[in-house]
Amino acid sequence: MEDLLRRLTPQVLAALLRRHGALDLCEDAVQEALAAAAADWPVKGLPDNPQGWLVTVARRRLVDLVRSDAARRRREERIVLGAPPSEFLQHIDDVEGSGRDDTLLLLLLCCHPELTPPSQVALTLRAVGGLTTAEIAAAFFVPEATMAQRISRAKQRIRDAGASFAMPPPEQLESRLRAVMHVLYLVFNEGYTTNSGPDIHRPDLTREAIRLTRELLRLRPDDAEVEGLLALMLLTDARRPARTTPQGELIPLAAQDRARWNQDAIREGVDLVTAALRRGPIGAYQLQAAVAAVHDEAPSTEETDWAQVLALYETLDRVSPNPMATVNRAVAAAMVHGPSSGLDLLASVETDERIAGHHLLFAVRGHLLDMAGDALGAAESFSEAARRTNSAPEKRYLAGRARDLRAGAVDPSRH
Amino acid sequence: MKYMVIIYGNKDLWASFPPEEAGRAIAEVNAFNRRYAESGELLGAYGLGDELTAKTVRVRDGVPAVTDGPYLEAKEFVSSFFFLDCEDEARALEIAAEYPFASHSAVEVWPVLHEAGTAM
Repeated sequence: MEDLLRRLTPQVLAALLRRHGALDLCEDAVQEALAAAAADWPVKGLPDNPQGWLVTVARRRLVDLVRSDAARRRREERIVLGAPPSEFLQHIDDVEGSGRDDTLLLLLLCCHPELTPPSQVALTLRAVGGLTTAEIAAAFFVPEATMAQRISRAKQRIRDAGASFAMPPPEQLESRLRAVMHVLYLVFNEGYTTNSGPDIHRPDLTREAIRLTRELLRLRPDDAEVEGLLALMLLTDARRPARTTPQGELIPLAAQDRARWNQDAIREGVDLVTAALRRGPIGAYQLQAAVAAVHDEAPSTEETDWAQVLALYETLDRVSPNPMATVNRAVAAAMVHGPSSGLDLLASVETDERIAGHHLLFAVRGHLLDMAGDALGAAESFSEAARRTNSAPEKRYLAGRARDLRAGAVDPSRH
Repeated sequence: MKYMVIIYGNKDLWASFPPEEAGRAIAEVNAFNRRYAESGELLGAYGLGDELTAKTVRVRDGVPAVTDGPYLEAKEFVSSFFFLDCEDEARALEIAAEYPFASHSAVEVWPVLHEAGTAM
């Protein structure tokens, strides 16, 4: 039932928005309708038309909300009460069939350029994902009141910006879609590599990101980058079962038991990225997905086609230059041409202020110095990386590498 | 009554934990957090990054200057803290004593102004 409610959330919200406009009130009304359904349906059974039920209840709540707030919000009152009451109670037949575009419009609205990325993420998870404020707060380890405020401020900003529930003009559509993809990728990453907290994975967020990206691809089936993004998520998430020990400690790619990788996800991801690259135009998500595919299809680190990984990262650095791509390129370059070639590349970005001091820079340098046989230098770099990451499991893993190197007891399987 | 409990440390202290003990310590802290979140007495628990990643902000003549590192020069730094909302100070001290790290070195319990009772 939870899945059903989550799936219906954007449709119900869209039905209200199309008629009544104001995102903040409509969204609150939908949340209340969802709560009512969660309490009602298990007792009374599923209604014949769950979506119609939700829209009807949400519309009644919307009237209540507007009335209770009438003096302060005359504008909404006119909008809602201007329509005859029968409209709120009529059988919903204008909802079916329009769900496709509505979800896209909602995604675009939630990822409005006036909002900061954390607000875009929170609003998207609530309005499109159908998560409760408490669930979103728990996923990001912030108090519920903080998250409630963030969401309410986001809705306020959207209102102030005069954003409407409509397709952006064609010249803006591309950049608005990029913003949606970026938000979905942020949600995925937050779930996959938690930046805070005791656990390394929060599969609820990765699952939600994949679900919403699938939905986006259904709405934009010809967009190679959306296809690439879904492929990237699937190919990355495929390794999740092998990525941690039962105690929650990180296992690096080279030491993972590849038999535990999710072959279904890999197959689907490979098919998607292959189709995307054929369709073009080429983009950053497709290239990263292609790299993930090379790793996922390799039987071991040694048998990985590093030359292809290097070529893909070189292309990525050209298509969308960014120091993190260069760091990844350095690892591949070291595998193809030897560690000193990778260290040279690293040196070229170390002073880039977008990445200076980032723990990954130190972790990669540690790895390359270790490859070059400089155990003590590697240990120094790993220690530095451990101090700079804000993820507890990463901290433990990196400190462990430093300790092992200092003890001269390096486990060769970790290379 | 609200209390803030502060745990101090530095990288040498954390590095001195053998890896096999680290796993057990984490499990103990997680169990502690769960227990008191369920009882409603733990409002929130937060770990902080390394002091290397802390920044200090000073505004002089309206111009903010940001420097790397913590404000206080010290050998040990705040590494984590949690908030309690409990019956009285005695209860806060009782809970603090159960925090695993209290058995290794020490934890500090601070009353929150206007939110904690006066000790009799």
